Amino acid sequence: MTEAAVGARESVVDEPRRTLEVYRWMLWSRLFEEECGRRNPRWFPVEGEEATIVGSFFDLRPDDVAAPHYRGPFVVYAMRGAEPWRLAAQALGRSDGYSRGRSVPFSGPLSVNIVPWVAGDLGTTLGVATGAGLAFAYEGSDRVCVVSFGDGTANRGDFHENLNLAACWNLPVVYVCQHNGWAISESAESYLPAPIAARAAGYGMPGESVDGNDVDAVRETVGRAVQRARRGDGPSLIEARTYRLGGHWSADRSPYRAAGAAEPWRAREPLAAFAARLKEAGLADSDALSELTQQLQAEVTEAFARAERSPEPGPDELGWEAPP
Amino acid sequence: MSRVTFAEALVGAIADEMRRDPDVFLIGQDIGPFGGAMQGARGLFDEFGPRRVRDAPISESAMVGAAIGAALQGKRPIVEISFGEFLPCAMNQIVLQAANLRYMTDGDARVPVTIRTRVGDGPYRGHPQSYEAWFAHVPGLKVVMPSTPADARGLMTAAIRDDDPVLVFEQMFLYHAIRDEVPDGEHVVPIGPARLARAGLDVTVVATAWMVHRALEAARQLATEGIDVEVIDLRSLAPWDDDMVLRSVHKTGRLVVAHEAWKVGGIGAEIAAAVAERAFSHLRAPIARVGAPSIPIPSAAPLRTRVIPSAEQIGDAVRVTARDAGPAV
Repeated sequence: MTEAAVGARESVVDEPRRTLEVYRWMLWSRLFEEECGRRNPRWFPVEGEEATIVGSFFDLRPDDVAAPHYRGPFVVYAMRGAEPWRLAAQALGRSDGYSRGRSVPFSGPLSVNIVPWVAGDLGTTLGVATGAGLAFAYEGSDRVCVVSFGDGTANRGDFHENLNLAACWNLPVVYVCQHNGWAISESAESYLPAPIAARAAGYGMPGESVDGNDVDAVRETVGRAVQRARRGDGPSLIEARTYRLGGHWSADRSPYRAAGAAEPWRAREPLAAFAARLKEAGLADSDALSELTQQLQAEVTEAFARAERSPEPGPDELGWEAPP
Repeated sequence: MSRVTFAEALVGAIADEMRRDPDVFLIGQDIGPFGGAMQGARGLFDEFGPRRVRDAPISESAMVGAAIGAALQGKRPIVEISFGEFLPCAMNQIVLQAANLRYMTDGDARVPVTIRTRVGDGPYRGHPQSYEAWFAHVPGLKVVMPSTPADARGLMTAAIRDDDPVLVFEQMFLYHAIRDEVPDGEHVVPIGPARLARAGLDVTVVATAWMVHRALEAARQLATEGIDVEVIDLRSLAPWDDDMVLRSVHKTGRLVVAHEAWKVGGIGAEIAAAVAERAFSHLRAPIARVGAPSIPIPSAAPLRTRVIPSAEQIGDAVRVTARDAGPAV
């Protein structure tokens, strides 16, 4: 993709308020998800992937549709207006969670224009997201849908079917692969013989790899693809290369991973790098950043405390006027 | 009233709903200028054009997924899966997304998607396997299977207007075979209630689609033998009309279920089990099930004829059931 970015942001310093907001959401994601992991050993840790997640969805319009990957979607719901304490209740399976204990813990509210998680399978949200694009194209609106998915999910048939369909019908969908290098215990080298971005050529759409730990780069790359989709020029595929610093679930110590393999990635995890650049650019000093951390941690703690006061779902939550 | 075929009735229902509601559109293979498999979408492309009648790549999962996603944005898509044999390609989307969305979002999401497909033996003999029972098993899906042109029109209309996902199974032998009376203008058959195809006092036969016609054929023969058969056309498999079936069994004390699909795990097994649970004391004979034996439906005509239940087989099952004395009601 070579066309000039329209409205896409160029550097850290050109819009300091939004840049700080991006940092704030990445930090919020880190803290909120850590809290989830502390309470649920089967939680899917997000640590290290925050730049890809926040960068892919931060610049969307409220009327666009966001379909985040299952690893770390809460920050996307929160950025779009979901209430943190109800997300915490969702994570804890309480009756004030958005699905009232019915759906998987990482689901969110339909009201903030997301594709909710309603099952534990991977790949079907690519289809539902593509359908949002179909509705927008059918209406002739300029809304778009951004969907993210893992490098493991990229091998599901739904990846192929949906990218091909979206290209055939020129749908306004941006497909972002949140490539963290691992599918549970298998490393990407074992299931990805070629870069995912290279597949885009086979569908006749633009494909681009981006450093998924550089939130500015992710925002710029996704932003260009979003502009393209909004203009009616069709779908794009973006491969954001990041790294799963933790296990597949919180209690997973990754015994299948070579000792020290994560260290190079830990050294360039996105939050610390972002903080350093903020300080360098004079947008924040150490005191301000640690104050922000304390403030967000307090908010997260309060959200979980309130969620824990929410009752466990009872028989009322089970019921529904269902077809027999 | 007009006299139309089963296929014409289905197309007529879709065309009327597309005229009535601009959010209704059709996705499928060969539904464009070709007119759909077995001419099941004939004329729709000419009237509505490529925006609303979309020829899709051969990607059943993406077609159904895209329909679900569009439905979440307020559209009412119809997906045409050319033949039921291709439904397994879309299974994830049907059973994990379409079926779950409403419940899992506490009712926030509604999925007004109609999935139509062709099953069973037919004039061209291709794609005969019947999988409708799988979908009746899954909570959150509605499943209909008409046997007459009037019900084809009425149930397709109801499916398109329904806010939940509905699968419409279209039996292929019925497609061009019967020309029958269909009400003109608006005709909606609610999803759920069965149809009393023939009233009788001695034995209840609950059948679906093509087997309704074979059950009626058997009933005509049995009448000459002094056995008065009641035939219920189930027409809706999920939800199904337990009221009508139970009332009939209370009257006759005898039940035969018949369908073209395999007997093992078929919809007839569910009906038989429900009647045994809830009307055991009314039964005067063991329940009989008629369905295909557990082998894949073979291709050659002489083999297939042996596999698909005949009117004679249904008749034999009724005779055995009627003979069996059992305790009086």
